[in-house]
Amino acid sequence: MIVWASLLLLAGGALGAFLLRRSWQQRDGSAPGMIAGGWFVLLGLVLASAFLIGPVKGTALALVMEGIGALLVIWQGRVRRKAARLRDAEAAPEPLEEPGRFWRGVLRTLLAGPLGMTAAMGVAFCVTVYLPGDPRTRIVLGGLLMPVLWGLAMTWTLADRRLLRATAVLVGASVIGFGLAHLGASA
Amino acid sequence: MSNTRKKQWRWPISPETVRSVLSSHSILGLAFAAVIYLVCLTGTLAVFAPDLERWEVPATPVARTLSDAAAARALAEGAKHIPADTALYLALPTPAKEGASLTAFSPTFERKWAVAEDGSLSDLEAVWTEFLIHLHVNLHLPRSWGEFIVGLTGVALLSSLVSGILAHPRVLRDAFHLRLGGSRRLQEADLHNRLGIWALPFHFTLALTGALLGLSTIIVAVLALLLYPEGGMKKVYELFLDAPPPVDARAAPMPDVAALIAEARARAPEAAPQNVVVERPGRADMRVTVTSGRAKLLVQQDETKFDAGGRIAGEEHPQDFVTGTRILGGIGQLHFGWYGGLPVRIAYGLLGIALCVVTSSGVTIWLARRRGRGRPAPQWERIWAAVCWGQPVILTLTALLSWFAPEASLPTVWLVLTVLSIMASALARTVPGPSLARIWRRALAALLVVLALIHGAAALPKGGSLLVDGLLMAGALALFAGELRTRAKPVAA
Repeated sequence: MIVWASLLLLAGGALGAFLLRRSWQQRDGSAPGMIAGGWFVLLGLVLASAFLIGPVKGTALALVMEGIGALLVIWQGRVRRKAARLRDAEAAPEPLEEPGRFWRGVLRTLLAGPLGMTAAMGVAFCVTVYLPGDPRTRIVLGGLLMPVLWGLAMTWTLADRRLLRATAVLVGASVIGFGLAHLGASA
Repeated sequence: MSNTRKKQWRWPISPETVRSVLSSHSILGLAFAAVIYLVCLTGTLAVFAPDLERWEVPATPVARTLSDAAAARALAEGAKHIPADTALYLALPTPAKEGASLTAFSPTFERKWAVAEDGSLSDLEAVWTEFLIHLHVNLHLPRSWGEFIVGLTGVALLSSLVSGILAHPRVLRDAFHLRLGGSRRLQEADLHNRLGIWALPFHFTLALTGALLGLSTIIVAVLALLLYPEGGMKKVYELFLDAPPPVDARAAPMPDVAALIAEARARAPEAAPQNVVVERPGRADMRVTVTSGRAKLLVQQDETKFDAGGRIAGEEHPQDFVTGTRILGGIGQLHFGWYGGLPVRIAYGLLGIALCVVTSSGVTIWLARRRGRGRPAPQWERIWAAVCWGQPVILTLTALLSWFAPEASLPTVWLVLTVLSIMASALARTVPGPSLARIWRRALAALLVVLALIHGAAALPKGGSLLVDGLLMAGALALFAGELRTRAKPVAA
């Protein structure tokens, strides 16, 4: 069953991506039907898979197989360039370059690493303590939230040039998060 | 900014912020590139652990079905070969996992057998697969530290995915562009972005579940301090694990396990028994747990527990499991792709390779950008070639070594070869990075052929499967073909 479902989802992913690609090729927004059809196939198959194969198993299978199907369409539509020089229109944004200062690097590492982790833990565990429901569910949800929050903290602190602001927010989030969580846990 | 640019800019964050986020994406990607790449590469291979185990031990029996009586025979046989206080875990064949296996585990003892359809046991000591899994899970470092570093890598990957999306204002406009040839930077950027975007749910799931699995020890430790300052981590674990039965070390015969499996099947007719766990076998405080799975559920949610006398000691069904326990049980399944059999493993393998390419191309874009601006970093180009292509070569060498000398310390060999390859690449100033990468690729192709031939020659007379050997050969051919194509159509820097 999984074999046939996988093949069907792979084909569906390719069909959905093909329809979206056709509308993209026209570039003037004149193919709303293809956009709607493409998304209908992609999302419809995810829902059908979740219903028929299982809510988590089916959704995961659909997302994986449709991704591969779509990548096959992208690979099929590849073009080979001859010019070695980049045109302005093709150039992606350039990263902001700052003069490297050692202490800023150290501070950013501390912010994105240990301090970001502490702040993420503080907020996630606050959720764990105050969320209603079974403690096992609260612990697992808090655990899942922690890496997400830490990842967001990493992105933000490494992008924000105002290090003092980032430090204040992360220290504040850590103190308030852990403080509230401690209060809630001891209550 | 001109009015025209303002009109064209449709991204929710300003161009200046996009550049800052891109800078954050670069810093994070470069800082963690080597570890992310290694974890992704070993993870991609670890998805195929069940296949690799059977490839390493070619005569392994693969049971398509296992009767209740054969399962009981396997457990009785396994119990004869283990020290006291060792638990037995019997994994029955399922649609998602071919073959049956029996594992004996205690903090000081571990042994694994393959179970044939008649219940007989044969050793399943796949040292290279085990080395590979430990390299993925904890980098062969002390467990807590290694898992923390791998968890941190997951967080860095998660953060890179978020910053990668935010830093890509043309994510929709470019979604179907794949331009090869011409500028290397543009080619690599297209590959990086397309493979990153279209497989984003997969990358996100892997990064999140990997981060949680790696950071679980520290999360539990801090939570225990906060919630149960007197009970410690044990108290948190107790929430998720069944309390052990009261100690009674008197000898007791194994109950009729076949009857217990049949009883469990009768109590959950919609589910099929998938695991049998025997704790403290041969003692009066023995506990036998039969775990069953339902077709539509990711995690087994039917459990029937029996005591040493074969009496029901407890049972749980889907309605008894809280959401947290279900999520926790599903994390490993989603992370390794072991929920849907070979088709899912192949899909995970392909998208795992895609994630390796995303990581590798991220560094290549940075190197090409530097070269394009007249500030090349040839030493880093060589080092990256040694990481990117050297690691598959070194892993192949460890696989060969495990074949000829199974007792060799694979982690030590891997570490020594890794350090040497990076040092040699850094010092080889006369060899340009792309040439070094080519040398590594050729070495990889040649070693894959050697490995496939050696294993294939040993497996063929024993009737073993040649699937993995075929895949190794296909990989070698793809590398050779890639080399020929690159020679015909060189890409500008």
